[in-house]
Amino acid sequence: MPSLHLENVSKHFGGLKAVDEVTMEVRPGEITGLIGPNGAGKSTVVNMISGVLALTEGDITVDGVSLATDRADVVARKGVARTFQNIRLLPEATVLENVLIGFHRREEASILSQILGLPAAHRETRRFEEKTWDLLRRFRMEEYADYEAGNLAYGHQRRVEMMRAIAADPDIVLLDEPVAGMNDVESEELATIFKELAASGMALLLIEHNVGFVTRLCKQVYVLDSGRMIAAGSPETVIRDPQVIAAYIGTSGH
Amino acid sequence: MIQFYLAYQPIIDFFLLAVGFGYSQQIAFRAGVFSIATAGFAAIGSYCVAILATRTEVPIFMTVILATLLAAAVGGLLALPLARLRGAFQAIATLAFVQIILSLLLYGEGFTGGALGIVGIPREVNTWILLLVVAVTMYVLWNIGRSGMGRVFNALRQEESVASSLGVNIGKYHIIAFILSGAIGGLFGGLQSLYTFQIEPHNYGFAFIVNILTVVILGGRTTLLGPIMGALIMALLPEIARPLAENRQAVNGVILILVITFLPNGVGDEIVFWFRRRKQARQQRKRASEKEARDAVTSS
Ligand SMILES: Nc1ncnc2c1ncn2[C@@H]1O[C@H](COP(=O)(O)OP(=O)(O)OP(=O)(O)O)[C@@H](O)[C@H]1O
Ligand SMILES: [Mg+2]
Repeated sequence: MPSLHLENVSKHFGGLKAVDEVTMEVRPGEITGLIGPNGAGKSTVVNMISGVLALTEGDITVDGVSLATDRADVVARKGVARTFQNIRLLPEATVLENVLIGFHRREEASILSQILGLPAAHRETRRFEEKTWDLLRRFRMEEYADYEAGNLAYGHQRRVEMMRAIAADPDIVLLDEPVAGMNDVESEELATIFKELAASGMALLLIEHNVGFVTRLCKQVYVLDSGRMIAAGSPETVIRDPQVIAAYIGTSGH
Repeated sequence: MIQFYLAYQPIIDFFLLAVGFGYSQQIAFRAGVFSIATAGFAAIGSYCVAILATRTEVPIFMTVILATLLAAAVGGLLALPLARLRGAFQAIATLAFVQIILSLLLYGEGFTGGALGIVGIPREVNTWILLLVVAVTMYVLWNIGRSGMGRVFNALRQEESVASSLGVNIGKYHIIAFILSGAIGGLFGGLQSLYTFQIEPHNYGFAFIVNILTVVILGGRTTLLGPIMGALIMALLPEIARPLAENRQAVNGVILILVITFLPNGVGDEIVFWFRRRKQARQQRKRASEKEARDAVTSS
């Protein structure tokens, strides 16, 4: 299973150094945490990895192969999936359809067989539907399969995003505040799933404001502040780091 | 029955052609592409057939196939320079494409007959052929709707960034949408020219664009029923509103505004959505009771 490396990555918006020479690693079989106060640059990191934003400087590699100049869809086809901090679903589509599109990169049926409605195309759709049902059961969302995604409660929408992201068995998953707005029971359920995914060999990057949640799940935690990496290491050492404490107390005091 | 057919045959044929052009327009909208290039594709198809049928020995059937392929190829090529455009900019650029095609037809007099167009096209197409081709087109679109391609089109229409985050090559699927729109537009353009005896550039001008957009907006942008309902309204309106014949444009305008205001998805789409929501509600109830049964078992 491959791991993800960021090497001196920077992103400047005009004069603002949203991300400034960040180096980090997201290893397979682990959940890696990325924390930091509001505006620290966490989402910008995810957007650069996933090909939504171009890098100003530096390099991003998966197993030594650079992703730095790839378009978002190319990054995804290389096995890097993501969720969005501001939930993005297909609002008119049902939960089932929303997850089904997640299998896109596994599609093999030729365009011709789809146009002619050949059995190969139908078989593939049916296979993805079965896998979608497995996911729905795993996330305890079966009863919502036929709901329009736009009408779901916030926590359920986040789950739909999660299922869609992991549908095609990515190697690396970037989770931008996946439990924001969920209650404790719901976030614990997702925490269990994150651990299972990591145990199956995936590399997870978890962005989260709740420091307790991160320290419980992550082996390695990186702390960003104003675009700079101010600390990295095990959760125990990171939360005692004076710079980290200062950054958190200095801003909002999480 | 026969009398009914004879009395209404022109209306039925008009309806079937409008459905076909409507599908060409709709497939672009379904994929989130604001193309109004259908008029250009139809013109290419109809001139291709007219020229081949009046000046060469190419079998009629083949002229239609060639027209379809030519318009599909032009559609695919048109997608390339438009790749970065979205929304209103796509609409303007595709409108410019239609203008270019029409000017070429006007000024290529030696080849296209200029403003007078081409006359004496054999009348080979009848209601049954139109019906058959509409049915085949619907079958293909039905397949697409149930396949991965249909899912990608739906995703592109609703949230492009989601599609690309899942590995969808947006440019590729926009090209496919343009090729399909071109093929369907060229196909029905070709049939139209084998139906009307005479064609001229004017047939594919502003009125054509507005008519086809109206078909899709009245009927619906995503379902197979959409263009059928839209074309039905367009075909029946002049009959129903015969006393208002002088104010035809005004009546069309008022109906369009009413539908956009009260049935924003179009009549056909709203009907399909209503049935879909009913089915979903039924499934939701079924799943909820299944869950209750399961919970009862586990808690006892
Ligand atoms: N597209 C953009 N253009 C200009 N500035 C941007 C852009 N995206 C982000 N920024 C700025 O970059 C900085 C980092 O933003 P980012 O969204 O990465 O922070 P974050 O750590 O994810 O914060 P939060 O915890 O609030 O989600 C902020 O100052 C933000 O205003
Ligand atoms: Mg953020």
